[in-house]
Amino acid sequence: MQASRARLFKEYKEVQREKVADPDIQLVCDDSNIFKWTALIKGPSETPFEGGVFQLAFAVPEQYPLQPPQVRFLTKIFHPNVHFKTGEICLDILKNAWSPAWTLQSVCRAIIALMAHPEPDSPLNCDSGNLLRSGDLRGYYSMARMYTKLAAMPKKG
Amino acid sequence: MVSDSITNASIHAAPNNNARDVGKKKRARSAKLKQCKLDVRREQWLSQGAVKNKDCKAEQNGVVEERKDRNNHRPFGSLGMRPGGGENDGSIHHHHHHHDSDLDSNSPNSLTSSVLGSNYSETNFTGSSSSSSSSSSGGCCSGNITEDDEGGGDDGCLDDWEAVADALAANEKSKNPCLESPPEHDPIAQSGSPQETTIGSDGPNFGVENSKPRCARTIPKASGNGLAWRPDDAFRPQSLPNLAKQVSLPNSNRKHYGCGGVPWAYSGVVSAPSSCPICYEDLDFTDTSFLPCLCGFRLCLFCHKRILEEDSRCPGCRKPYEHEPVEAEASVHGGSLTFRLPRSCSLITRS
Repeated sequence: MQASRARLFKEYKEVQREKVADPDIQLVCDDSNIFKWTALIKGPSETPFEGGVFQLAFAVPEQYPLQPPQVRFLTKIFHPNVHFKTGEICLDILKNAWSPAWTLQSVCRAIIALMAHPEPDSPLNCDSGNLLRSGDLRGYYSMARMYTKLAAMPKKG
Repeated sequence: MVSDSITNASIHAAPNNNARDVGKKKRARSAKLKQCKLDVRREQWLSQGAVKNKDCKAEQNGVVEERKDRNNHRPFGSLGMRPGGGENDGSIHHHHHHHDSDLDSNSPNSLTSSVLGSNYSETNFTGSSSSSSSSSSGGCCSGNITEDDEGGGDDGCLDDWEAVADALAANEKSKNPCLESPPEHDPIAQSGSPQETTIGSDGPNFGVENSKPRCARTIPKASGNGLAWRPDDAFRPQSLPNLAKQVSLPNSNRKHYGCGGVPWAYSGVVSAPSSCPICYEDLDFTDTSFLPCLCGFRLCLFCHKRILEEDSRCPGCRKPYEHEPVEAEASVHGGSLTFRLPRSCSLITRS
């Protein structure tokens, strides 16, 4: 418990220092609870998520970093590996492939990578997965694009 | 009184019921406020986003210069930060003493350090050498001085060609702490406050004023070009270790001042990262001579024990730990081996 707190505190300081270094990620710690974090990540370019900003919620367990943080999308996203309703993310490093050497920051990077490279064979969002698996890239792209515009981009006018 | 507690609710943990209600409301409100802030941040970000995306590549190229600019202001910033970094004081301390005695015992080194200490640029060196883990000749100097470059995952390991390049550069140009100082950039994580603390303390200790003239003399020679990577080079792989510089510097010292400086940078800790990548606490001597996994991933004994109790897999390669860790002897006889292993590992874990 104390260890996780100490580690999170160090990560917090690191994030403060590194802010400018990674323009695609903004990690913010809850003011009152260091086990709750929010991240804003930019949709990677050349994907249907480009131009969108997606909000992630981190819930860090007390056994962190031995246990992975729980991460979910707060912003709606149409992606095979993200549950459309709950925002739950299917990502190996958040489950069995977790290593304590990962940080919240690197998890964000991994999620950005996942957005660019979906794994349609282990879908949490079957519709999205099926589109990709059937090779309907255009269908996938336009659906994902639509939801990006609806949920992750600023409303115009 | 009630109004008092309302206004101060956030400050005093409110003792009475009224205040508790207020506290609740406050919490709800602050939650809203938080979301609000996030939204605002997001919108701002988005509005820049369009431009930024296009400029992304340009940005990368511009990074170097930007950083330079930033760095110019940095010395003061780091000064200001010193007190903040105080919590690291203790852990660093022994390193520091270490340096003291070393430096006192041989003039060349103390010279360098005092040169560095003569302005606050010393911070920069450490920062640069450890953070971007690249180096200039200046960077080398400070890398040595603080010795506990917060390489973080960058386990100290030799990076031969770069070491050579740096050593060459250092020899040709001599050191130019003063000119080269700016290369430091705050954002990079591993440059910990430890450096900031050491710096402040190093400077005064080594008779700064005495050495100033020399510093001035050395400046003109050096321009810091011809290095493998400049410390502020955006393209330098972050995982490159800093240790090469620690090793290369004493060499250049020796050549420059004609007498053998005690290469205290070599001592013991050379091959290990200075802080545990799991808990980020500084590694002590036992930890640094502890090599639990063949992949070279180092961590402190405490974290190692905790991991053994849990899933018992190495954080670096995710393979189960062997029962008998490869201990200090590996670092004793297989010098080059231990140097190299951590590096490959750090590459893996960082990518």
